[in-house]
Amino acid sequence: MADEQTPDAKPKPAAPAHAAPKAPPTMAAVPWDGELPGRLKERFGEQINTAASYLGQNFLVVKPEAVFDLIEYLKLEAGFDYLVDITAVDYPKRELRFDLVYILYSFERNERVRVKTEIPDGYRPRSVVDIHLTANWLEREVFDMFGISFDGHPDLRRILMPEDWTGYPLRKDYSIIQMDNRWVQENLGIESGQ
Amino acid sequence: MAETFLDSSELVLNMGPQHPSTHGVLRVVLRLDGEKVMGTECIIGYLHRGVEKIAENRTYQMFAPYVDRMDYVAAVSNGLGYCLAVEKLLNVEAPPRAQTVRVALTELNRIASHLIWLGTHALDIGAITPLFYTMREREEILNIFEKYCGARLTTHAFRIGGLQYELYDGFEQDVSAFCDMFPARIDEYEELLSGNRIWVDRLTNIGVLNAAQCKQYGVTGPLLRAAGVRWDLRKAQPYSGYENYDFEIPIRENGDTYDRYIVRMQEMRQSVRILRQAIKRIEPGPIMAKVPKVIKPPVGEAYVSIEAPKGELGYYIVSDGSTQPYRVRVRPPSFVNLQALEPMAKGALVADIVAIIGTIDIVLGEVDR
Amino acid sequence: MRKFLKRLLFLDLIEGLVVTFRSQHPKHIYTEQYPAQSPKVAERYRGAPRLNINPENGETLCIACNLCALACPEALIVVGSERNEQTRRKELTTFTYDTSRCMFCGLCEDACPVDALELTQDFELATYTREGQIWDRQMLEEGPRPKQYKF
Repeated sequence: MADEQTPDAKPKPAAPAHAAPKAPPTMAAVPWDGELPGRLKERFGEQINTAASYLGQNFLVVKPEAVFDLIEYLKLEAGFDYLVDITAVDYPKRELRFDLVYILYSFERNERVRVKTEIPDGYRPRSVVDIHLTANWLEREVFDMFGISFDGHPDLRRILMPEDWTGYPLRKDYSIIQMDNRWVQENLGIESGQ
Repeated sequence: MAETFLDSSELVLNMGPQHPSTHGVLRVVLRLDGEKVMGTECIIGYLHRGVEKIAENRTYQMFAPYVDRMDYVAAVSNGLGYCLAVEKLLNVEAPPRAQTVRVALTELNRIASHLIWLGTHALDIGAITPLFYTMREREEILNIFEKYCGARLTTHAFRIGGLQYELYDGFEQDVSAFCDMFPARIDEYEELLSGNRIWVDRLTNIGVLNAAQCKQYGVTGPLLRAAGVRWDLRKAQPYSGYENYDFEIPIRENGDTYDRYIVRMQEMRQSVRILRQAIKRIEPGPIMAKVPKVIKPPVGEAYVSIEAPKGELGYYIVSDGSTQPYRVRVRPPSFVNLQALEPMAKGALVADIVAIIGTIDIVLGEVDR
Repeated sequence: MRKFLKRLLFLDLIEGLVVTFRSQHPKHIYTEQYPAQSPKVAERYRGAPRLNINPENGETLCIACNLCALACPEALIVVGSERNEQTRRKELTTFTYDTSRCMFCGLCEDACPVDALELTQDFELATYTREGQIWDRQMLEEGPRPKQYKF
């Protein structure tokens, strides 16, 4: 609690909120076995890195090229017809900087699965709007917050932030008190929002 | 001259962000052909506060009050979802007494949220009276919240691992008095609205969204159930002991605005049913599970979702083993459901837009976060 | 036929009006006449903060442990303390509480080990200036004194 970063009036240097431990512990996940992961491994082979389960929640880590096909396959062949959410997690120290996470649900099976993929900064993953229409706004939000642009998205614009804002707020190198001063001065007529 | 007179180009009309019937700061740009809506575009973000960013800079306990500020008419549900998600990461479960109280408060909150929806939706359509009545009943619920945890709207009622406050004396009596009074009040609303020709004509076959479209757009909650899908997370993936309660999931077939009205009214009746069972089940015992003072979940991630009044509310939390969450993603039902405005509004009249926005039941605090 | 007659005679509308008129009776009045009549808030209400003093000797109960400041999500509490050389104890010197940023979540009073900091039933917190929202120790101990309006 001592390294608590507070939104105080005084500007601080953008200190990382998380002191990274020396040897980062990893998630204690167990392998996910069963009919579905077996089928997927047969179909996608090398492209699925891991099929695991943590706290009873199943997830797949796949190669970024396979995401589109996998989600299509899951929808058409396995009944995962509801795309719950798309989000990303930023790990600035990693070479493959972002975790892109798709959460899927199947009404028939009453089952959830997370599809995760690791992508480097600048990689353009293929948009899944063609499979799930709901991906439209969800991908726009990921673009807005992380700056991941999706290939083939019909309308990739910022959704929550102003359209001419610079910077991607949910990246870890974007401090909580940081903002686009140019935008604030031009549009709000004040020196700073702090 | 004749050309301009017969000009049939589309008119772009801006609605909001200060329009009273957009329920907040939603801006909708309408493309109109005469009175017919050809397309809509939602411009959101006016209430964006960066809740997910704030979460990364707070400890797990400190972030709990912030989730109340997303869907501020259903703050208790938001808090429940967050607490369940962190409890999942910690692998603890709240004690039975806490779970029962959580169910009772969440169902009260569901009724409060639906009451706000009913009042404002009716007001949009032109029926002013129900608003006063629904606010009156909601006041009773808020009084119970105030007596229980000291706040009316942004309650911060639950803590990670259970409850902070013990029940006050007379909680059961207050809730059962409410349960006795409320069904008659629902009858009253239905007397006012269900048979009213203006209400029926304004709502039937407006904003139709069938089951396949709902799944395509990821729409959940009463909108999905009005389209005929019997799916409710309280039944499908029960949490907080919902599997022990006897209640039904009301559904309708057509998926239009009138059906959603019926579904929500039925849901309020079912909530009363759950409430009656819950207050009988409150048993003595601890209200807090064994949770360390400093919450440090092991490295990992979890997605936990609950059935909020508006649909599936999910929390995806990534922990890096420190006292602060590495990433908190909120899957807001309003945000996803609002996307379905486009197919619902296509071909409707301008006056129906108001009904359609009302029927989605959005809260802009949750859309923008 | 009955349906048609019902429609023709506006029975559905009259039904609704009956409900409205049923609620017209003065005994159904629900509105509170604030500020002429101050509402009674619940015992656990989380309103204006107060720093409790020991009623016997008038000394503060606060032990300047700083736990409230650490628990506050908005970091709006600043506790100033000084070490008393004779008793070797920390003593409270200043205490500021910025009510303009407070969201009344109650985490500070949960954290307080000696029940010194408390959120009270006062809810009239409006001031004329932003600076007036920042409460110092004296204000926290004595409580706000809202102007009483007579009607």
